[in-house]
Amino acid sequence: MRGGRHLAGLCMMALALAAVPSALRAQSSDSLFATGLRAYKNLEFDLAAWLLRRDLAQLSATAPAATRAAGLAYLGAAELFRGKRDSAAAVFRRLVLVDPRYRPDRLVFPPEVTTLFDGVRLQTKTVTVDVPRDTTVVPGTGSFDIWVIASSFQTTEVTLRYTDGAPFRALYTGPIGDSLKVQWDGLDASGVPPPVNRVVLRVASRAPTGELGGIVQVPLDLRVVRPDTLPWPPPLTAAQLLPERAKSGAATRSLLGGLFLSGAVAALPAVVGGTDTRSGPRMAVAGTIGLAGLFGYMLHRPGRPLAANMRANQTLRETWQRRVATATAENARRRRDVRLAIRAGEPTAIQPRGP
Amino acid sequence: MRIPRAAPALIALFAGSALGAQTLHPSASASLVWARVRSQKSAGTDYLSGPAFLGQGTLAMRRLQLTVTYMQGTVNQDGPLGASRNLVEGTVQLGFRPLDWLTLETGPHARAYSSTGATERWAFWELRARAETAFVGSAVRGYAELWRVVAANVNVPESFGHGQGGEVGMILRLARAPLAARVGYRIDHAVLGGGTRLETVDGVVVGVGLSGLP
Repeated sequence: MRGGRHLAGLCMMALALAAVPSALRAQSSDSLFATGLRAYKNLEFDLAAWLLRRDLAQLSATAPAATRAAGLAYLGAAELFRGKRDSAAAVFRRLVLVDPRYRPDRLVFPPEVTTLFDGVRLQTKTVTVDVPRDTTVVPGTGSFDIWVIASSFQTTEVTLRYTDGAPFRALYTGPIGDSLKVQWDGLDASGVPPPVNRVVLRVASRAPTGELGGIVQVPLDLRVVRPDTLPWPPPLTAAQLLPERAKSGAATRSLLGGLFLSGAVAALPAVVGGTDTRSGPRMAVAGTIGLAGLFGYMLHRPGRPLAANMRANQTLRETWQRRVATATAENARRRRDVRLAIRAGEPTAIQPRGP
Repeated sequence: MRIPRAAPALIALFAGSALGAQTLHPSASASLVWARVRSQKSAGTDYLSGPAFLGQGTLAMRRLQLTVTYMQGTVNQDGPLGASRNLVEGTVQLGFRPLDWLTLETGPHARAYSSTGATERWAFWELRARAETAFVGSAVRGYAELWRVVAANVNVPESFGHGQGGEVGMILRLARAPLAARVGYRIDHAVLGGGTRLETVDGVVVGVGLSGLP
């Protein structure tokens, strides 16, 4: 009696759909799910299953996992209540693959549904990978955190691989119960920052028997970030340095000045007309001035080291060398301060067999 | 009552001094001159020599300067029977410095020889040119000065013909002190009576100076 009522409702719905196909096609996925859910609650499981399958078929692959999971849960329950246990198990397996963390609400679904779901979940070995979308780590000391959430107890291999599939770095191989945090220090197998700008995070699930349950891959774009180094201070130019050796100008000036003035003293009487004068005192003055010029020449002789200028230049050079040393140390620190920028792509799942 | 009347004048005097101190650069020196006088006349030639004190003061303001000199001493005639004369000489020169190393001056120059019987007075108006620059570092400066008599008034029988003179020497300035030492040679030559009388005064100047007086 109950089955006949369901069949009549299904036929009426089919007739209605045939009568207004364009209107139904225009119906949104939300209304299909809502209609299916209403049918499920009205115990019209055939209609509910038909509507929910249609709803799931219209959902794109990029639809949120929570949306697909809700549809699959009601579809599995509807299939179970239709007496199609295998079909329900297949739906639940698909649900586990979509979201290993999903648990049916025990206030909504009866124990036979949750029991079947738990049985399927325990037999389905799959994982989901949760990684930060954009992050920066310090290679060696920092860590890139990878959360692996398992549907059930299983053995997991977490590896980083080159884009061609060759192994790059093995991160973890072992059992996993519920979830596991795996850390990558940003280095390759030889302990240096990665020489490539893209690797693939690969998480393989295996049953205790060794059977491959599934693979989840996440592409990781890598970029080694090195801070700019400081420019070296400009070298000292000749214009900044004082002469360290006396030039010939001052010495020549002293010598020629003394000679000129001595000559002027000696020739002064002849210039002014008083020729008959005593030459002794005059020559003494001329000699004194000449000696002063000679002394000045010796004092400022060319090539004489200029100690004050040498000290001033040494201070300048030491200051420059200190600036170079400071820049060198800062650059060495900056060269060590290498960071690895990681951008995670969309995860893709590879299943050995379909649901 | 007299004090209040004098107060404005005193205030003006001190205010003027304070204002002038900002731009006036005074200097002074005292020197010993071993002077020698040669007076050649038709009757013969007299040679006199002796020490004299030479004081000099200069007041400079920007490129103008006023120089006052005063020399006094006693010169004795050479030989065992020589008579002595008092030599007094002074100048007032107003100068202009067109270049840092060149100064042009003009002003009166008076000289007097006094003996027991009479006093010869010589008065000149001179034009002077003085060049001064450092030649041993910045401590030793050399100078050369020439002057020419452009007008004269003398109380001797011979009429004044022409006269000129000059001085060459060096000034040693001590570092970090306003003191200076000076050594030089100066000569002054005059021709009178169409060459019948030649009057020459020369001497060695050794002295110390003080610049930057407050």
